[in-house]
Amino acid sequence: MGRIFSYATLTGLGLLILALIALPLMLGALWIKVLTSAAIFALAAAGVALVYAQLGLINLAQIALIGVGGWIALRLNYATDLPVTLLVLIAGTLTGVIGAIFALPALRMRGLYLALVTLMVAALFQIFFNAFQFPNGGEGFWGVAQKSASEVRRPGFAESDVGYYRYTLIFMAIGFGVIGLHKITAPGRAWAMIRQSEANAMATGVNVTLYKLWAFALSGLLAGTAGALLAGALGQLDARSFLAGEGILLFALAVVGGVFSWVGAIVAGLLYKLLPALFNDLGLSADVAMIIFGAALMHAIMTAPQGIAGQILGAFNRGGSDD
Amino acid sequence: MIEIADVTVKFGGVVALDNVTLEIADDVVGLIGPNGAGKTTLVNAFSGFVRQAGGRISVHGTSLSDLAPHERARWGLARSFQKVQIVPDLSVADHLLAMLDSKGLSRAQCKEAVHHALDFVGIQNISSKMGRSLNPYQRRMTEIAKCLVGAPRLILLDEPGGGLSQAEMQHLRRVIRGIHPEYGAQILLVDHDVDLIRDVCASTAVLDFGKLIAFGNTNAVLEDEVVKTAYLGR
Ligand SMILES: Nc1ncnc2c1ncn2[C@@H]1O[C@H](COP(=O)(O)OP(=O)(O)OP(=O)(O)O)[C@@H](O)[C@H]1O
Ligand SMILES: [Mg+2]
Repeated sequence: MGRIFSYATLTGLGLLILALIALPLMLGALWIKVLTSAAIFALAAAGVALVYAQLGLINLAQIALIGVGGWIALRLNYATDLPVTLLVLIAGTLTGVIGAIFALPALRMRGLYLALVTLMVAALFQIFFNAFQFPNGGEGFWGVAQKSASEVRRPGFAESDVGYYRYTLIFMAIGFGVIGLHKITAPGRAWAMIRQSEANAMATGVNVTLYKLWAFALSGLLAGTAGALLAGALGQLDARSFLAGEGILLFALAVVGGVFSWVGAIVAGLLYKLLPALFNDLGLSADVAMIIFGAALMHAIMTAPQGIAGQILGAFNRGGSDD
Repeated sequence: MIEIADVTVKFGGVVALDNVTLEIADDVVGLIGPNGAGKTTLVNAFSGFVRQAGGRISVHGTSLSDLAPHERARWGLARSFQKVQIVPDLSVADHLLAMLDSKGLSRAQCKEAVHHALDFVGIQNISSKMGRSLNPYQRRMTEIAKCLVGAPRLILLDEPGGGLSQAEMQHLRRVIRGIHPEYGAQILLVDHDVDLIRDVCASTAVLDFGKLIAFGNTNAVLEDEVVKTAYLGR
């Protein structure tokens, strides 16, 4: 457990300012859009990483929950005049609740069984999204019409792509901050006790069920927020982006990036969105990215349990006082 | 005052606790018995970790059996584990803070309680050390210190002396003897080390094959012929 203003946090804030100011000056519109998406998926990856790092539980349904958040945000976008930031927060909160509800029956499971259950949940949502599509401004509850999508609002101060990129980065940073705060306060200690053993946690006065649900809810909150931000970034969501298999990929990339730090989540977001875009730019097939992901995953599993982030951070500090 | 009434615990065909009934008024009480006698199972019954086939446990008039395991801890039941429970990536102080998180104390009160407990067991100097880099002695002491914070009412120590050197045992004895005067909690001490039991426990209970075979003044119990054959056995 570190202090609130550790080196890592200060470095992160420095990088954030750099990314907010310098990158838009250096990069063209296309790459800003790609980075916006990368930041959105980094936020969601941080949720998967949290649940895995803190409790050792595998969640393969995160992409599905991004879809849920996106669906709620689009639905509210067309049905109400609420400010966009409020929409994002509502979508995040509701998705957090939904994430916790789906985690409820899974609480007694772990390892492969839990992973399979989350995969089933993801498949369920895949079917749901395919059947009902995402609201695009049509009539009725499902809000889908055979027409090009009506406008998805962005906040007044973030109408432009660069503005929205900054808006997204701020959300991502706040999300990382919320996770970081959890880790160094009571929930972080409670999760640590559960990690050691549930008996140990109970003997410490930890309500195991509550804190497990809380981890899933927090992860869902991040996914829902990401989904709402994605809706604003793309202006429209496509059911084909939320296949169950994508959830496996996001989890794998979170592991490759490193689940113990926000750096890993950023690496995951970049791998998920930036790498394929780079390959596309170079005229390479997107399949090359998949091959690289596979190799990176093998690397992470065999030699780098802390992921790429662990290797980056390891060069700077050894984490905690070991002496 | 601990009241154990007709407690039975079965694991399949094994009767780990067989109708154990016991009332304990002494401040520090020992629990001994050969391997597999059911000592840890009794401690787990206090914690609510095993399903009781029957019976009740109450402490100071509170029926523990009616509380969920984590509620028992919040009520003031503290315990250490035979297999010591230390989280590798959590500091010593954080182990103690975790215990206090559910007790609604202010930051300053928590800090003070942690400081006091670490000081009491003599490991104040390693409060920021990570669990993974503690030696066996420091692990034991961290677990005992964890039992002391947050106003415990009953402390269960399951073989705290396991794997310690002679010098460390000396220190452990002093610590255990000091707990009741300092913190006021009642203590149930499970250990194989008869010297330790004789040294700190006013009364002692003996389990054998899940049955209570003796209870009373420690010296008298240790001289008891039945106990000698069952336990000391030589
Ligand atoms: N979770 C369990 N499942 C099945 N059997 C168990 C379980 N826990 C304990 N037992 C059995 O119950 C009996 C009592 O075990 P217990 O651990 O309480 O003994 P103990 O007195 O603590 O022994 P030791 O001195 O070796 O720690 C043993 O026969 C043990 O094998
Ligand atoms: Mg035992």
